[in-house]
Amino acid sequence: MERPGVRASERGQEAGPVVYRHSITTRITHWLTALSILVLVMSGLQIFNAAPYLDASGLTNPAHRVLAIGAQQQPGGTPRGTVTLFGHTFTTTHVLGYTDDGMGGEAPRAFPGWLTFPGYQDLAGGRRWHFFFAWVMVLCGAAYLIVGALRKDLPLIVLRPSDLPKMLPMQLYYFGLRKEPPPHGKYNPLQKAGYTVVIFVLAPFLILTGLALSPGVDAIAGPLTTVLGGRQFARTWHFLAMLAIIAFAFGHVFLVVSTGFFNNMRSMIAGTYRLGKNEGTGP
Amino acid sequence: MKRRLFVAASISAALAGCARVTNSLNDSTSLQGLLKVPDALDRALIGTRGMAKLYGEADIDQNFPTNGLDTPSDPGYMGMAMGNFATYRLPVSGLVDNPQTFTLAQLRAMASLTEITRHDCVEGWSVVGKFGGVPLAQVLAMVRPKREARYAIFYSFDRDQSGAQFYGSIDLVQAAHPQTMLQLDLNGKPLDPDHGAPVRLRIPTQLAYKSTKWVQRIELASTFKNVFGGQGGYWEDNGYEWYAGI
Repeated sequence: MERPGVRASERGQEAGPVVYRHSITTRITHWLTALSILVLVMSGLQIFNAAPYLDASGLTNPAHRVLAIGAQQQPGGTPRGTVTLFGHTFTTTHVLGYTDDGMGGEAPRAFPGWLTFPGYQDLAGGRRWHFFFAWVMVLCGAAYLIVGALRKDLPLIVLRPSDLPKMLPMQLYYFGLRKEPPPHGKYNPLQKAGYTVVIFVLAPFLILTGLALSPGVDAIAGPLTTVLGGRQFARTWHFLAMLAIIAFAFGHVFLVVSTGFFNNMRSMIAGTYRLGKNEGTGP
Repeated sequence: MKRRLFVAASISAALAGCARVTNSLNDSTSLQGLLKVPDALDRALIGTRGMAKLYGEADIDQNFPTNGLDTPSDPGYMGMAMGNFATYRLPVSGLVDNPQTFTLAQLRAMASLTEITRHDCVEGWSVVGKFGGVPLAQVLAMVRPKREARYAIFYSFDRDQSGAQFYGSIDLVQAAHPQTMLQLDLNGKPLDPDHGAPVRLRIPTQLAYKSTKWVQRIELASTFKNVFGGQGGYWEDNGYEWYAGI
């Protein structure tokens, strides 16, 4: 039976049965986490702007500077915005370094006002939004893990050794070099790999690298900061982890759109989902 | 060309819209209460536990940076600095049984703590220094806080450009922490005016904006709600968290 709004034939998927895919907990925590990541990235860039550089050393040390975003005064013109990455300087005027001040003008600041939360320079405000949504994200993660474990659907997303040989065929299917995906459960082997890394590696790493920046946490859990290479190194790791979660978000949205947008969106809003070819509901 | 201009104009309008939305959310007074919820959670979770890491001599930065407000430039402070702070007096009063006023020489005689610790700025940089001074717990023991005293409020000689006096506050748990000190020396030398001379509060387990420079007097109180902006400090009155362990 066809339902309106479902394009079951997209990407060669044949109309399978409609199943209940995502619990209400998963759906709510998914969207709250998505909102949190957006605000955390933007407020994080606001915080970064207060010290627009990253060092690969425990203490602030220009000799180990990995990234610096700045502005240089030029004789009789607008300042030049620059990004210095591993000692190589690029001109980035109007985008980075000297850019949108969030109030309709331009000013020396690392990330532009349209990318920061709030738009204008306000470290105190950025910190408040950052910590608020850090809690939202952590609590959502905890709710997702606990409810998932109780409902026994959490293990379905975890990559298992038996998934490994199916990863290449799945990738070939995504590239259009294979007609059908390999038989799989609720999540295909590449989804499992991606989500396993994000949920169990990247998200904890983001939280831990963020906590390591806090002097109060350092006094309680000193080894954490030490393992990360010190407070400034932890800041660099935190930034890199942010880039990783942004990369994930772009890849995620691309796949949501390209593998049956309406069906995918329905599963994360209403919970129901029409199975595709070789797609199941198990592990 | 026209089309490209139109696209560029649309993009920049959309981008300006981003800042407008985030700015107005940030300015919304009704959201301020919600945004302060994490403060209590952070304080409960992290609080004042553990000890700040100790560093070695090799980690010390001899060019210890200065940040925040400008060094006081009023005649009173300048005159005192010219005389090597011989006329400096530090009153410790408020909800105490035994209010006291200390001279710099008396404080120097009490100085028993020298530690190499990290100074964490809220902006995101960190630097190591050798901090010497009087454990604040020692001063508290002498003035004997009353039972209802909960906070130590530090008033500074400094004022911002609008004339607002700089101040800060910590609870007595933080005040009694063995690493909290009235700092007199930096890197083996008496504090200079730019670094908070003659006395600076030093709290290595919180961000450095809690470490009030140029301490003029200390008051023990049951609340800080009636002091200036009511948020417990100059930076707190300007939106920063009172608990700066995070």
